[in-house]
Amino acid sequence: MKTIVVLGVIALIAVFIVAQYNRLIRLNIGVNEAWAQIEVQLKRRSDLIPNLVETVKGYAKHEQSTFDAVVTARAKATSATTVADVAAADGMLTQALRGLLAVAEAYPDLKASTNFLALQEELSTTENKVAFSRQFYNDNVRSLNTAVKTVPTNLFASFAKVTEREFYEVEDPQDRNAPKVTF
Amino acid sequence: MNFRTQQAANKRKTIGLLMGMGALVWLVVFAALTYFGNSTAGIVPIAVGIALISVWGSYYGADKLVITMTGAKLIDESDNQKLFNLIHEVTIASGLPMPKVAIVVDSAPNAFATGRNPEHALIAFTTGILEAMDRDQLQGVIAHELAHVANRDTLVSAVAATTAGAIAILSDMLTRMMWFGGGRDRDRESNGNPIALVFSLLILILAPLAAMLLRSAISRKRESLADATAVAFTRNPAGLRSALEVLAADSTVVHQKSTSVAHIWIESPLDGKSVSKLFSTHPPIAERIAVLKAMELQS
Repeated sequence: MKTIVVLGVIALIAVFIVAQYNRLIRLNIGVNEAWAQIEVQLKRRSDLIPNLVETVKGYAKHEQSTFDAVVTARAKATSATTVADVAAADGMLTQALRGLLAVAEAYPDLKASTNFLALQEELSTTENKVAFSRQFYNDNVRSLNTAVKTVPTNLFASFAKVTEREFYEVEDPQDRNAPKVTF
Repeated sequence: MNFRTQQAANKRKTIGLLMGMGALVWLVVFAALTYFGNSTAGIVPIAVGIALISVWGSYYGADKLVITMTGAKLIDESDNQKLFNLIHEVTIASGLPMPKVAIVVDSAPNAFATGRNPEHALIAFTTGILEAMDRDQLQGVIAHELAHVANRDTLVSAVAATTAGAIAILSDMLTRMMWFGGGRDRDRESNGNPIALVFSLLILILAPLAAMLLRSAISRKRESLADATAVAFTRNPAGLRSALEVLAADSTVVHQKSTSVAHIWIESPLDGKSVSKLFSTHPPIAERIAVLKAMELQS
């Protein structure tokens, strides 16, 4: 009888430990997946840019500085690797794209072209997807960081080799709020 | 109240209501045993069995069943690029897989979600809602529908329907037994206390009504929860709020072939005035708008 009780308690403790360990690992994988999603969406946006710049150029030849800003920001964004760098480059590119679309406002022919309208929808949805993937990533980081810092999961964090992760902070405070993209 | 406290409160209330439903089942069983004696015990598993079979089928095939009941037509990305863009945005915000998408040809603005789990989810929109709403409003509606998917509301309503169904079948069988065949076995071990007998009878008669009320209350809590979860996805209460205002201002209702799927739409297609608030599957739309406005002030 006694041995059964002892074995039962040991089994319960084992189940508890495994559950905490698995929770941490799951949260960590969640953050990795969310990060991958950000990269996918940033890549999508990056791929859109040449086409967009070409289209705008066709109507607005004298806005070279705006085009340059977009192209530089895009180049920076593609070379960034750490969370902070990617976030900074992302913020810069968002700004540059806003500038480009503001320029487009001044050219009625451009705004009416079907190519531009299609690109505009594509760009609004991509901006929203980028913003939502940031938000999803930050939510996942928040859950992970809370787990790493609070009892009982914090006791297993170093064993599971899970540490706190960095939030994705975009410079422009306007971007941190969820997407309200009206170009 | 922000969306997190809203979500927690509505989840807590659902659990309370489901427990109330469970308690009601026991009360009915207890009343039956008191009134008819232990010989009726065999009826209980039969009633639960019938309810389980009838609900489980519709739960498992929810996506396909609802398509036929509402006349929805599945579409793919090439049919409506903008709608798919919007849905994809919300799936990224929520971390859910891409659902199947369907269109109901109907000028009344409305939408619904169904499916037994996120992998089998289906969300549908009327042609009316796609015309009436702008990007932000549609995003709010999509977030509300995907919130139902994330919160597994098809499962919750199936559980509620099963218990309410079991209670209704049980009460129906027992009242029949009362009229035919004289009912309780007076000579055996059944409780002779007249007060207990009257109470048992009252419970048996009123239980189906109570079960229906509980079921509607659960549905209302899940709607409020879906609104709060939608805000958690988009962080933009204004979008869903103005979408609900569009729905409130529109007096047309979806032309329904059947009232049995009324509860799944974002705005109830049943005429609000004919159903009392207690039996309604949705909270009053003005109340939902007020809660979302409060969330807007928060952020």
